[in-house]
Amino acid sequence: MRYIYILSLVILVSAATTASAGYREIFEKEFLSKPWSTDIVAESSCIECHTSEVMDEKFRSIPQDWRVSWHAQNNVSCHDCHGGDSEDASMAMSHKRGFIGSPNYTDIPDMCGKCHIGILKNYVESGHGKALIEEGTGPNCITCHGSHNVQKVHIDIINAQLCSKCHPYERAKIMKQALFLTDKKIESIEDDLADLRKQGVYPDREEKSLFNTQAQFRTLFHTIDVAVVKDKTNFFTSELNGIEDEIKATFEELSFRKKFSTFLMLIFAGSWAIITLIIRSKD
Amino acid sequence: MWQKLKDGIEIRIGLTDLIENRLRQYRVPSDTNIFYTLGIVTMAAYVVQAITGYFLLMYYVPHSEHAFRSVQDIMTIIPFGWFVRMVHMVAANLMVALLFIHFISIFFMGSYKKPREITWLAGGLLLLVTLAFCLSGYLLPWSQRSYWATTIVSNLPTAFPVIGDALANLLRGGDSVTGVTLTRFFSLHVGFLPPVFLSIVGLHIFLVWRIGLSVPPLSQSAEEESEWTEFRHATYSRSYPFYPNFLLKEVSMIMLFLAVTFFIMSFMPTLFLPEAATTPADPLNTPADIKPEWYFLAPYQMLKMIPNKFLGISLQIIAIIVFLFWPFFDTRAERNIMKRPLIFGLFLVLLALWFLLTYWGRYSA
Repeated sequence: MRYIYILSLVILVSAATTASAGYREIFEKEFLSKPWSTDIVAESSCIECHTSEVMDEKFRSIPQDWRVSWHAQNNVSCHDCHGGDSEDASMAMSHKRGFIGSPNYTDIPDMCGKCHIGILKNYVESGHGKALIEEGTGPNCITCHGSHNVQKVHIDIINAQLCSKCHPYERAKIMKQALFLTDKKIESIEDDLADLRKQGVYPDREEKSLFNTQAQFRTLFHTIDVAVVKDKTNFFTSELNGIEDEIKATFEELSFRKKFSTFLMLIFAGSWAIITLIIRSKD
Repeated sequence: MWQKLKDGIEIRIGLTDLIENRLRQYRVPSDTNIFYTLGIVTMAAYVVQAITGYFLLMYYVPHSEHAFRSVQDIMTIIPFGWFVRMVHMVAANLMVALLFIHFISIFFMGSYKKPREITWLAGGLLLLVTLAFCLSGYLLPWSQRSYWATTIVSNLPTAFPVIGDALANLLRGGDSVTGVTLTRFFSLHVGFLPPVFLSIVGLHIFLVWRIGLSVPPLSQSAEEESEWTEFRHATYSRSYPFYPNFLLKEVSMIMLFLAVTFFIMSFMPTLFLPEAATTPADPLNTPADIKPEWYFLAPYQMLKMIPNKFLGISLQIIAIIVFLFWPFFDTRAERNIMKRPLIFGLFLVLLALWFLLTYWGRYSA
């Protein structure tokens, strides 16, 4: 009787070791195609169409650009900017559902400004914005930030190569210098927050504070007015210092936790050692 | 005053008699090793889980909108909430590890043989209940990791033809993991599984106590080797009292278990708490790397490898049945595994395969 069961185990072992080359495809097909997942992982009709063979080649790279973008990482999808109905292919490009498609050059700031409200206000007051509104030729958002592959903003977006496409770099350079310290501080806080996450902390309160401060900070410098930036730097520094203090307190808390656990570890390890000695002496 | 209190207790419950007749005169083999204490250490781990679980219950909110936030509040706002949760989480993982080692040592020492077959069966059921505890408890923090790992595991029953989808839907309360699943798993975790666990553990301890501990196979005397034709409590050629000798050994191992728990909390606090465990569940955002917890990695990897899903799950069910009823299949009296090279070899191959699949499951794409 037992040999039948041993045989079952042998089958178990051999079946497990005879891996099929296409196991992953089958696994994915069988596990990820069930009703539970189709609702969740179903791609929007925009992406389905734009990645299909029938799509014009110049539009086919758009989904790929978007997938690596900062927008994609923050769940900002096609319809958030372009409108339309991403869940219904027949209405995906319906103007009744707010579809915009490719906006006119001068309409781009309004499209981005639906979400980036403060920055839009700041931009239209700037030389860049005025040139666009008055002459229709000034730079709009995508001139500096790109469109579908838009990345997280870094101070290095202000650089000689980009700025000197339209004008001398000197003024932009002074602006960059004025922003430098605040930007470095933001970067350092971001690193600390990433570190906290790695240590099992969910610093959402600090992240939200940083996000708000950063958003306010960005509404400052699209006017390219160095005096305004210098004037407000102290305010942002104190805001950022507040966030840093909270992060520091969290690190101190983590340090306390470590010390407390180590203390208990020593107590129990000591108890184990003492009891072991007692057992030895009894033996 | 103290004497009066002692006398009062003595008259009412007969403490001296209890210690003398039930503990001091209860004998255990004197050549037991530390592996004999793993059962009680696992039980201690369960007690730790029950106590910490009770405190977590005071602040945890079993609702998909609030579960993650409530766990984060326990970790950051509630005084020493982090401590309770970390102990609960680390001890849960150690409990599974202890159960695995307990089974390996029992198998290796042939302690499951007649008359201890039911003790093994009860132990096997306890392992399954513990894994059910882990599976249900895993979802409760409602993090990205818990959500997606549960999504994978709760989809396994769909491997069964005809009833598969219905089974999975019953488990989840729908086509996907939702707030309904969270409520179901929560009620399983705190309402259904604890009494089931305690009932089986009661039977397990009763059987161990009633039959007595087995002797390590290498130091078995002729009398101990004699066949069990009728019930008798185990007898030993060399033994010592349960109290204080063996009890002290058990207490020392419990201390070691707690020391290891706090060691992990001090020096490896994120061992069971990766970044995805501190990110709120997002059903619309599938993480690139979804993995179940370490104790499910081997069966998970095995399922990935076997092309036919039904075959894969059937083999696993056969394996569980063979494991649970193994003492009834392996009826030969010989307990020394070294004298049974086939079984010994198979045992080593299976053990190596388990480790290999776990490692593979952890690092494969």
